[in-house]
Amino acid sequence: MGRLVLKNVSRRFNGVIAISDLNLELKDGEFMCLLGPSGCGKTTLLRLVAGLDAPTEGELFLDGKKIEGVNKECGFVFQEYVLFPWRTVKGNIEFGPEVRMDGKEEREKIAQHYIDLVGLRGFEDHYPHELSGGMKQRVGIARAYANDPKLLLMDEPFGALDAQTRNLMQTELLRIWETEHISALFVTHSVDEAVYLSDRVVVMSARPGTVKEIFRNDLPRPRVRTSQEANALRDAILRSLGAEIKRAQSK
Amino acid sequence: MRNSLKILSVIIFAALIAGCIEPEPAVKSPEPVNLVKMSGQEMIQRLGTGDIAGFIMWEPYPAIAITRGYGKALLFSKDIWEDHPCCVVAYDYDWYKKTENADEILKRMALVQLKSVEYINNAKSLSSPDHEDLINFTMEFGGITDRAAANLSLGDVEFVYALNIQGAETFIGRIRDFGIFDLTKWNQSGYKDAKDYAGSLINSSYVEWAVQNREASLKAVALRQPVDIRYAYLINDIHELPFYVAWKKGWYKDAGINITLAEGTPFQNGAFEMQKGFKASAVDIGSLGIPPVIIHRINSNDFTTDDARVEVIAGMNNEGSVIVVANDVKSLKDLTGKTVGYPGQGTIQHVLFLMAAEKEGLKVVT
Amino acid sequence: MKKGYGRKEFIINILSLVLLVILWHVLITLARNDIFNAPFIRLKDVPTPLETMNAFAGSLFAQTYGPALTYGIVDHVQASLERVIQGGIIAFIIGVPTGIGVGYSKLISNILNPVIEIVRNMPPMAWIPLAIFIFVAGGSIFIVFIGMVFPIILNTVHGVRSTDVRLIDAAKTLGASEAQVVTKVVIPTAFPSIIAGLRIGLGVGWMAIVAAEMVIRSPVGLGYFIWNMGDLGRYAEMVAGMLVIGVVGYIMNITILLLQKRFIRWVD
Repeated sequence: MGRLVLKNVSRRFNGVIAISDLNLELKDGEFMCLLGPSGCGKTTLLRLVAGLDAPTEGELFLDGKKIEGVNKECGFVFQEYVLFPWRTVKGNIEFGPEVRMDGKEEREKIAQHYIDLVGLRGFEDHYPHELSGGMKQRVGIARAYANDPKLLLMDEPFGALDAQTRNLMQTELLRIWETEHISALFVTHSVDEAVYLSDRVVVMSARPGTVKEIFRNDLPRPRVRTSQEANALRDAILRSLGAEIKRAQSK
Repeated sequence: MRNSLKILSVIIFAALIAGCIEPEPAVKSPEPVNLVKMSGQEMIQRLGTGDIAGFIMWEPYPAIAITRGYGKALLFSKDIWEDHPCCVVAYDYDWYKKTENADEILKRMALVQLKSVEYINNAKSLSSPDHEDLINFTMEFGGITDRAAANLSLGDVEFVYALNIQGAETFIGRIRDFGIFDLTKWNQSGYKDAKDYAGSLINSSYVEWAVQNREASLKAVALRQPVDIRYAYLINDIHELPFYVAWKKGWYKDAGINITLAEGTPFQNGAFEMQKGFKASAVDIGSLGIPPVIIHRINSNDFTTDDARVEVIAGMNNEGSVIVVANDVKSLKDLTGKTVGYPGQGTIQHVLFLMAAEKEGLKVVT
Repeated sequence: MKKGYGRKEFIINILSLVLLVILWHVLITLARNDIFNAPFIRLKDVPTPLETMNAFAGSLFAQTYGPALTYGIVDHVQASLERVIQGGIIAFIIGVPTGIGVGYSKLISNILNPVIEIVRNMPPMAWIPLAIFIFVAGGSIFIVFIGMVFPIILNTVHGVRSTDVRLIDAAKTLGASEAQVVTKVVIPTAFPSIIAGLRIGLGVGWMAIVAAEMVIRSPVGLGYFIWNMGDLGRYAEMVAGMLVIGVVGYIMNITILLLQKRFIRWVD
């Protein structure tokens, strides 16, 4: 469950090639991070997987099924949270079950489960504007999970948080992910984050974006951010990424 | 969100219900007649389309509506109050004060009025050689396109030059009864009673002079130095036909008076003529219904300067208003709960309708 | 939520009103004693605040003089408000769906925009003469409708168009259909704008009803009252009626603002 395959995927926007001939496979239950210079098509890639956008060429499969139209099997977590401001914490988390026409009792059970899972008990009736950034993203994660997705897509979910909250949220995310084990595709700018979270790290090339290099990350969890192995991996990724960033800037 | 939408829909629903429930009338029984202000043209049209059950208006509007078959005459104003005064000739007191020979001018105005009324009364007879001319004047002044309507409307109006002090007194009393005076202003005026006020309002001396000189030709008594007079009248009101005839026939000129139309003439109603004409000193002499004169010399007057003070020097006509109703209306009582057009608050038709309703024990909302 | 209104502001507000009334009184008194006269205006005919208050108290309720019944200001307010509410409900029912359609669909927008752009530039007052002749009943309600519907449509369109596309994406990935995107994302997003449109519309509608009642025939309504009092030269009652129009309009505005604050708690 949650096996994602991308075959020769390209996406052009008015002649600009954002993604070119990209091949990638995400194993079932794998946590994969995407790194790459700005504008290399990371977000475009996530939107293609979510079915919010269609590839110009190539095909995408989730569990062998071709992705066409909005992909309702994945949960999307956005950088700026993108919560429904008129809904409470509970209302946001219930959104998925609600549009899927689950019964009221069923909805509330699901919502309560995920509220508890992300640690928001007691905040059920708060509106998003009453929450801190970290709490908002807990809602974002819970909302994505509440839909029982096969795949979690995260677009720099912690990019807007301060460093301390960010570290805390990474740990929390791993805790949640380990409880409800599904595949995750995680876009980030932070090599630290990638090393701390992922099973594999994909470095994408400067535009037109494609897979440049894939790093395995078998470090045992819970990981120590400053261990020697982590540092070595970080160095390797940084070198690979640094070359692409230079390429992107020289264009 | 859910809750707020729910509450909003409840509010909308409540408003919807509130909107559908008709407003509770202030007074329920017996159901009143609703008098609603409109122009004469509109009265005719709305009676024709059935939007209103009737109207009370000055001639020629009743005659036009009747000859078109839109309705019938239910009550002539003589049925309500026989020989009631209607339109009069009045002058602005400010003009009087600053005009040296004002008295001489007013005497000639009264004489022209007398001669014109006598001319019209003779010409009303079908055998009169002037009858054809009179019909033409009536149609011109009244904006009437139908000869039958012109004839009919002439028949309803009694043209007079003499003053009816008794009638004015009655009007003052009724206007008080009907709550139309501003009581603060009335108290400021210092008039003891209706008789006192009527005496101050009406000056018969000019008509008396005119009667004495009725045989004199206008040219013989003409002012030595011709004067300009800014005159005002009401729109299409054939009650004021004596003015129109005299003006068209050049009788004012013969008497040494150059008539120029005052700004705003013809006025839509007497209230306007009083407030925008006389009070604003835009009118020297004019013709209008006596109730607006009675009302506005009190309500609109600034008693420190007496700016709305006008005095009445001659009559124009008695009677001449008609309650016209849709053909299926049989009595005034049938108008209860219905809408009836009238020319506005404080007009002669307003007062007459209230008097008619009072006789029948009906209530009227205005 | 920042609250800039406290005791101090309240006192300033009250003082300014008191000052205005004093100024009004002084100005009229000076004019009446021929000490000061403004050019082109007969200031001395304007009633003083005290006269206006007395006139207001005297004409607040219905009165009977023999056969003559006169409605009180309360009846006139009620009648005018009812017309505004009736016209407003129709405007709301027609305006909001139209606004959502125009805001959300390019096709509907292209079809309706020319009509909306032309008709909305025809002020409600310009419709009065036509309304007099084509409506057997409800002409004044129609005028209110014309005054209210365009602010509601335009604000709804604005609200719909300001919907965050990411919210729509989020809803879609959570499984929402096109219809659900409209009902669960677009409308809630536009809701504050719709209410703002309703508020602006009510202001326009209120002005329009008063103007309409001056011309369109009914024996009750604030506009009719003012006009009638003018016919009788009762300027104090007239000014009292004008002030009532202002105060009622103000209260309506405040009421909606309060409802907005109470029910739209997600906006900070």
